[in-house]
Amino acid sequence: MLSVTGLGKSFPGVRALSDVDLTVRAGTVHALVGENGAGKSTLIKVLTGVYRPDAGEVVYDGAPVSFATPLAAQRAGISTIYQEVNLVPLMSVARNLCLGREPRGRLGLIDFRRMHREAAEALERLGLRVDVRRPLRELGVGAQQMVALARAVAVDARVVVMDEPTSSLEPREVATLFRVIRMLRDQGVAVVYVSHRMDELYEICDEVTVLRDGRVVHTGPLAGLDRLRLVSLMLGREIGEVRAEGLTKFSGGHDAESEPVLRATDLTIRHKLRGVSLAVRPGEVVGLGGLLGSGRSETAKAIAGALPTDAGRVAVAGAPVRPGSTAAAIRAGISLLPEDRKAEGIVPGLSVRENIALAALPALSRFGLVDDARIDRIVDTFVKRLRIKTAGPHQRVGELSGGNQQKVLLARWLALHPKVLLLDEPTRGIDVGAKAEVQALIDELADDGLAVLLISSDTEELIEGSDRVVVLKEGVVVSELTGAAVTEDALMRAIAAVPAGGPDD
Amino acid sequence: MTELTFARPSLDRARLLRLLQDYGVYAGVLVLLLFDVAFTPHFLSVENFRTQAVQVAPVLVVALGMALAIGAEGVDLSVGSVMALSTSLISLYLGYGPWIAVLVALAGGIVVGAANGALIAFVGVQPIVATLALMVAGRGVALVLLPQLKDVRDPDMAALGSGAVLGVPYLVLIAAGLALLTAFVMRRTTFGRQVLAIGDSRPAARLAGLPVGRVLVVVYVSCGALAAIAGVLATARLSASDPTSLGTLMELSAITAVVVGGTPLSGGRVRVGGTVAGAVLIQLLTTTLIKHDLPPSWTQIAQAAVIVLAVYAARERGRR
Amino acid sequence: MKPTASVRRTSARHLLTVGLVASLALVSACTKSEDDSAKGSTASPQDGAGQVVSSPSTGSGPTCALDAYGGGKLDLKKATVGFSQSEKEANPFRIAETASLKAEAAKRGVKLLTANAQSQFSKQISDVQDLIAKGADLLVIAPLNSDGWEPVLRAASAKHIPIVTIDRKINATACKDYVSFIGSDFVEQGRRAADRMIEATGGKGEVAILLGAAGNNVTTERTKGFEERIKEKAPDLKIVFRQTGDFAREKGQSVTENLIQSKPGITGIYAENDEMGLGAVNALKGAGKKPGAVKIVTIDGTRNAVQGIVDGWIQGVVESNPRFGPLAFQTLDTFTRGEKVSQDIVIEDSAYTEKNAAADLGKAY
Repeated sequence: MLSVTGLGKSFPGVRALSDVDLTVRAGTVHALVGENGAGKSTLIKVLTGVYRPDAGEVVYDGAPVSFATPLAAQRAGISTIYQEVNLVPLMSVARNLCLGREPRGRLGLIDFRRMHREAAEALERLGLRVDVRRPLRELGVGAQQMVALARAVAVDARVVVMDEPTSSLEPREVATLFRVIRMLRDQGVAVVYVSHRMDELYEICDEVTVLRDGRVVHTGPLAGLDRLRLVSLMLGREIGEVRAEGLTKFSGGHDAESEPVLRATDLTIRHKLRGVSLAVRPGEVVGLGGLLGSGRSETAKAIAGALPTDAGRVAVAGAPVRPGSTAAAIRAGISLLPEDRKAEGIVPGLSVRENIALAALPALSRFGLVDDARIDRIVDTFVKRLRIKTAGPHQRVGELSGGNQQKVLLARWLALHPKVLLLDEPTRGIDVGAKAEVQALIDELADDGLAVLLISSDTEELIEGSDRVVVLKEGVVVSELTGAAVTEDALMRAIAAVPAGGPDD
Repeated sequence: MTELTFARPSLDRARLLRLLQDYGVYAGVLVLLLFDVAFTPHFLSVENFRTQAVQVAPVLVVALGMALAIGAEGVDLSVGSVMALSTSLISLYLGYGPWIAVLVALAGGIVVGAANGALIAFVGVQPIVATLALMVAGRGVALVLLPQLKDVRDPDMAALGSGAVLGVPYLVLIAAGLALLTAFVMRRTTFGRQVLAIGDSRPAARLAGLPVGRVLVVVYVSCGALAAIAGVLATARLSASDPTSLGTLMELSAITAVVVGGTPLSGGRVRVGGTVAGAVLIQLLTTTLIKHDLPPSWTQIAQAAVIVLAVYAARERGRR
Repeated sequence: MKPTASVRRTSARHLLTVGLVASLALVSACTKSEDDSAKGSTASPQDGAGQVVSSPSTGSGPTCALDAYGGGKLDLKKATVGFSQSEKEANPFRIAETASLKAEAAKRGVKLLTANAQSQFSKQISDVQDLIAKGADLLVIAPLNSDGWEPVLRAASAKHIPIVTIDRKINATACKDYVSFIGSDFVEQGRRAADRMIEATGGKGEVAILLGAAGNNVTTERTKGFEERIKEKAPDLKIVFRQTGDFAREKGQSVTENLIQSKPGITGIYAENDEMGLGAVNALKGAGKKPGAVKIVTIDGTRNAVQGIVDGWIQGVVESNPRFGPLAFQTLDTFTRGEKVSQDIVIEDSAYTEKNAAADLGKAY
């Protein structure tokens, strides 16, 4: 039905796709998987006409095509359902369903009665009974997703692309969605299904294509593919691969005997986390493993008070921390190095000096007046200790390289003398040299007695850097690897394991 | 990333724009001064400079508060109404003596500022919407309290309006003092740095544990208090309380002064010196056109031209 | 932990709300303005001298009578009159206008219903409809706008309710849609101000005009009358400066401050309303000038400006008479008795000079 060959797409400085082949057959559900940055979304955008490929061709229904706009692709029968519903929330359900192709009466006016009837029928076919005259926003997210699906189906789609459609659905809604997908498949529609949820893939998909770093690393039927093998393909690690120690700068092995300084219990956030508990001892580096969307960053943010929790407790050195307040967490000694360094970490317009001093300001001032001499001393110390390469303390942080920005952030937190350091992707997007330096620094900090929680998509970094690894999957702790069990093998097995209670526990 | 390729050839232009934004306002003031000295009769007199300084004082005081709000990536549209409220309150409470009246007027400004701050920081209303609401409400309350112009005959208020120390009018001294205070707060205090951090990147400031809500409330309270002071100064100068017309369009004059002074609307930066120069520039521009008896519409066109220039320079910075 | 946290946060919010409400209450509760003790001593404008009509009700120009307009005779004493005011009584003019109508109604023993549109045209339309519904037999309207009156006029003519409009005209046919318009002649006011200026300056020197708000017919007409008369009678008096003061005292003051510095030899200032004139006085005081050094002539006739004449700062105030009460009722009375009234009635404005200011201060509004 839809196939691409030799597809290539570059953005300035990044090669997003190279030489990608993909064939989606009518009447099959084709899984498209890969970690962050593997090129999934670029590929989808090429298929649906958002981007034009640099190389290769798209063949649709036996003929080469080139869609100028998403609308052209839609007209040809390729519909897309995005993670976030892209409908008009204030319009009625029926109008959303029929948007752009409303049934017209004699005078060219919209025939509302017919529209409502047709809309209701279309939704009923998907097993959804709602008043189609109500505004869309009054429906739940799942029902909205269904309306989007009904709309996609109603335009006589022959290819439906779904980008993480279940990320905000309840299990019951997921079941309905799957029923619809199977129905579509039986009608001969080709479905491209993107998801990180292993169990869903195995439940609904017939074939799979694995992308990594913009290339296809595997394609074929899903049924014969072992879960572990799939995870290893996604992560780019071979099972049982023996490698030389010391690829990373971690020395490994910290004290694992003392009392935990950080204890998080039963952290719960609707749709994101379900009863996550973990503990970190002083001088210990605990890794947080799992695939994208498994709840790693959410756990870190919940501990740091940056995400409101529905339930759960956080305690530092036995004393409870008020939830939902970054200030309270910081006072308790918890520091978070956020994943999105540019948006949530640095203050780009301020100088290196101001950025480092930012969190510690109250301590560095008397009666609200800033003690510049003390700030200069501290900034000087950290610039030297972390080897921050800057034209001077007054250079704007926005002008530094990624690695140096990250070091400035680390300095900001270290100036507070924290007890617990939460590092979310500390080495992402920084060059190799700086990466090694940051890794060595993490090691050093743990040696100094800091409790470190490390999140990294780089399995190697995670395994070698951590003394223990807590593995998350769909917001639940599924496994904890300790001591000799901290290996990539074990990690991948934990990620790939079939949950005991099935997907809908 | 596409901009990387264009960066080199336009480097000089970028630097020029940076210079224009950083020092353009001072250059503008200088050019106007030179023009006036050369072509405006009787310009070079102490009396004239006193007049200009006195006239700019209330605008400048309001602009200082506006600079804080804009630095925190907000804006305060209610300043004009706060001036009206302040002048109403003075008139109503003058019976208790001028000090009490001024304190009540200040309290009025602080209350409006607190309402603005609470709406923005805790309820999460956009600054432009929240302060617009208070702009309408403030003027309404001012007119309910004092429906029409009323003379102020208190001798102390009159002295504040027209008195001077060593030839420098009180109004100018107060405005200069407040400008220095604002500059000091922005440069030397924790609060000043926190305002800039919040204005530059609110999520980062929140994650860094800054008391974002509290700082925002203080910003808008300061802005309201400064506007109330400006209302007191204007009342003293006019020796009358005129809530119907005092402070109308003041928010626009203040924003103009701040933006022309090189403070970007995107927040994260406050230029007190530039704001002072911006207010002076607009004052000189208006004055020059009045002194040459050009039609009032010219003043508006000239102001518009200056704003467009300033915004153009600021836009380049915002895109970088 | 969580409940305490939320309690703390909500209590902070409650505190803020309570603070806001309390301060508002405080503000309205115990005010004490400068002249509270003297409250009520300010004479109300209703004692103002009666009104003289410059174009008498049966004078020249088209007239109107009952048989042409439709409807029957009625006794004004037993009738109900509805009055729709356009703007909030927040400036002396509107205050005096409303007070004058109320006073005249009381004097004649006529029942008067009043409404105020608060500067909203839609409200004025519904106000008038309300007045009709409440049983007004006659209407006096101070229109906010000239256009858009058709629905009201239709309703009124269906009931044959005579309408008199005051201070602004409406775009409709006189003696069909309404009976008469009573208003001021702004051009004439400008001319008379020019006469005062010529007298005060001796017809020589340089004068400045403080214009009213731009795009306002009052501004254009008062400017036109003044400039024409100066050109015609005193060619030696040069108009060297025209800047807007937006009818506001503050603006009048700052413009005058600039004026007297760039043109120190200025002889006279013509302010198109009293407020700007008082601003000019402030500026002259601030610059250390003596009263009378610069001649000031203004239009309106508010008490403050007339006081300015008494103090020697202002040389002439041309009145723009707000006391429409006597004339409006007189017109309605004449009309309902079946006699002819003029379709356009110009109210006579008095003037204040050094000679009569002190004596007539009580007349000013």
